[in-house]
Amino acid sequence: MIETLRKVLEGTLERLHNHVTTYLPSLLAALTLVLGAYLTAALARWLIYRIFKGLTIDRFLRQSGIAFMVDSSGRLRATRLVAETVYWCILLSGVLVGVNVFGTDLTTQIIQSLMLLVPKLVIAGLILLAGAWLGQYLGRSMLVWAVNENFPSPRRLAAVVRILIMFVAVVVAADQLNFARSVFLAAFIIFVGGAVLAASLAIGLRRGGLRRFLEEKGEQTGESGERSLWSHL
Amino acid sequence: MAEPPLPDDARRAADVIRRADIVIGIPSYNNGRTIGHVVQAAYAGLAKYYPQLTGVVINSDGGSTDNTQDAVLSSRVEDSHLLLFSTPLLAAHRLSFPYHGVPGKGSAFRLIFQMAKRLDAKACAVVDSDLRSITPEWIDLLLRPILFAGHDFVAPYYQRHKYDGTITNSIVYPLTRMLYGVGVRQPIGGEFGISARLISRYLEREDWETDVARYGIDIWMTTIAIAEGFRVCQSFLGAKLHDAKDPGSDLTAMLQQVVGSVFMLMQEYKPIWQNRTGSTPAELFGFRFDVGLDPVNVNVNRMVDAFRRGCQELGEIWAGALEEDTFAAVRRLGGCLSEGTGAFHLDDELWARVVLDFACAYQRHPMSRGMILRSLTPLYLARVASFVRETETLVASEVEAKIEQLCVTFENLKPHLIAEWNADSVRAGSPHPPLERVEPRELSRENLEV
Repeated sequence: MIETLRKVLEGTLERLHNHVTTYLPSLLAALTLVLGAYLTAALARWLIYRIFKGLTIDRFLRQSGIAFMVDSSGRLRATRLVAETVYWCILLSGVLVGVNVFGTDLTTQIIQSLMLLVPKLVIAGLILLAGAWLGQYLGRSMLVWAVNENFPSPRRLAAVVRILIMFVAVVVAADQLNFARSVFLAAFIIFVGGAVLAASLAIGLRRGGLRRFLEEKGEQTGESGERSLWSHL
Repeated sequence: MAEPPLPDDARRAADVIRRADIVIGIPSYNNGRTIGHVVQAAYAGLAKYYPQLTGVVINSDGGSTDNTQDAVLSSRVEDSHLLLFSTPLLAAHRLSFPYHGVPGKGSAFRLIFQMAKRLDAKACAVVDSDLRSITPEWIDLLLRPILFAGHDFVAPYYQRHKYDGTITNSIVYPLTRMLYGVGVRQPIGGEFGISARLISRYLEREDWETDVARYGIDIWMTTIAIAEGFRVCQSFLGAKLHDAKDPGSDLTAMLQQVVGSVFMLMQEYKPIWQNRTGSTPAELFGFRFDVGLDPVNVNVNRMVDAFRRGCQELGEIWAGALEEDTFAAVRRLGGCLSEGTGAFHLDDELWARVVLDFACAYQRHPMSRGMILRSLTPLYLARVASFVRETETLVASEVEAKIEQLCVTFENLKPHLIAEWNADSVRAGSPHPPLERVEPRELSRENLEV
């Protein structure tokens, strides 16, 4: 009995020893790599902050409105953007290299999938950013136009434009990631079809608000043949 | 960017005429009702005042669908009715072409200037095609300072109704005067005399395809003439009465194009305007007299409503364009409207700050310029409404004094504008040179006549 127990314990210890001797160096190596990556990332971030302070791209971010879109206070700086991107890229690379140390099928598969996904994620992120910028720009343009033209519900119109453009951006980004493609496409078709139908109804309905608005506007423009204040500069 | 080639018919006509001393340009778009009178006045002006010189009247048309071109080519004036002292050596030529390119007054002018250059004209006058008060004397008043007094640019000086020309009175005149230190009372009047030297300068520029192609052309011409040191003067033309309806008139577009052109040129001429302070009026020719003017209808409530809507909806855009305290003052003004429109008044100081903040915002946000400029409309309407109320009972001279007061307010705020405009470079530690004072010049009696 004691002999059997001793054999089991020895077997367990041997297996533990095997596991430790097999995985501990890899784990230590992985941890060292991740730590190294973290330190490199932090150093790179610090260097970028130091070197690229006051880069002209900061002005571009401010002037284009991207700074206000990402950070409502408008304090977003290109230096911060670049530094944070580099930091996270190095850190992620460190984690991937660290995981790769184990050399198992699972880790290899994870790394391969991530490596394929990262560029797509970056592109999808850029598409969403561009969509958000365009949506904001066109939404505001619509708002100003609607206010100047005395159009009813200018804010709603601006919101519709923003949502529509953002929705297009989401559909394109999802397509890029190969994520629920058909669902997004169907939703997009339904959404656009619905918007067109609503617009047609608004224009076509005899007693619709839009029709009344257009009639009123026409009356205002043609109001007597008198000389208008705005006829000349 | 190379100058675009002349249209075939214009080139053929230039080959036939070969040379002309004077070119009179008339841009048009569906002005069949009034252009005949303008052509007659131009023709009579040439015959009466410049019989020894060869002249060409050119209509540059934007694709009119009425009888504009027929009216130009068929209008006649009998020399015997003009009581001429000397018979013209050659009758003035009369041409009418459609221009190509961006539709607008600027593109029409470009074709006229190209023709003037091609014909080697000594001077060119341009007049609007919807004028009802033009007389042959206008042609002389626009051309004589160039032909006989060495000036390069003659701006008009008219009597206008106190509510006519509100973009001029509330923005363009005070702003241009403050920036460049020269008081041209009607910088976007529409009638100008231009020397051959200045025409060449205009044609060599590369910004013809911007707002300059449309309503921005007038202020563009005036600003270049002043900023680049050409000799600028004004001629008193009397009353400006024009056709009731301008087919192209759309307040927001006009405001955007005119103000956008001023702001665009502010960037180019920054070293010039930042080194000038004070102002002096441009020399004024002609005999001044009082005239009766057409009434102008104003609907103040509609303008106040537009401002109210702007306050409710455009806060986010104004907040990005205006400085914090200016924006707060505008918000307070909007708040007054809830207590009734009685207390509502957009004063000179606040209005000048609004315009100058918009100029800085235009510079800061190049990608949103159009939107920023279009969002100025409700504020502009608020200013006009305030001005109308303030001057309701005033006569022309008192209104002129109010406009003068506004100009002085703009001039007092110039250091503030320079500081704001240079905010980036100031932060970077680059100092700007000391201001050069423009000494005010009194208008003497001699200046009134050529």
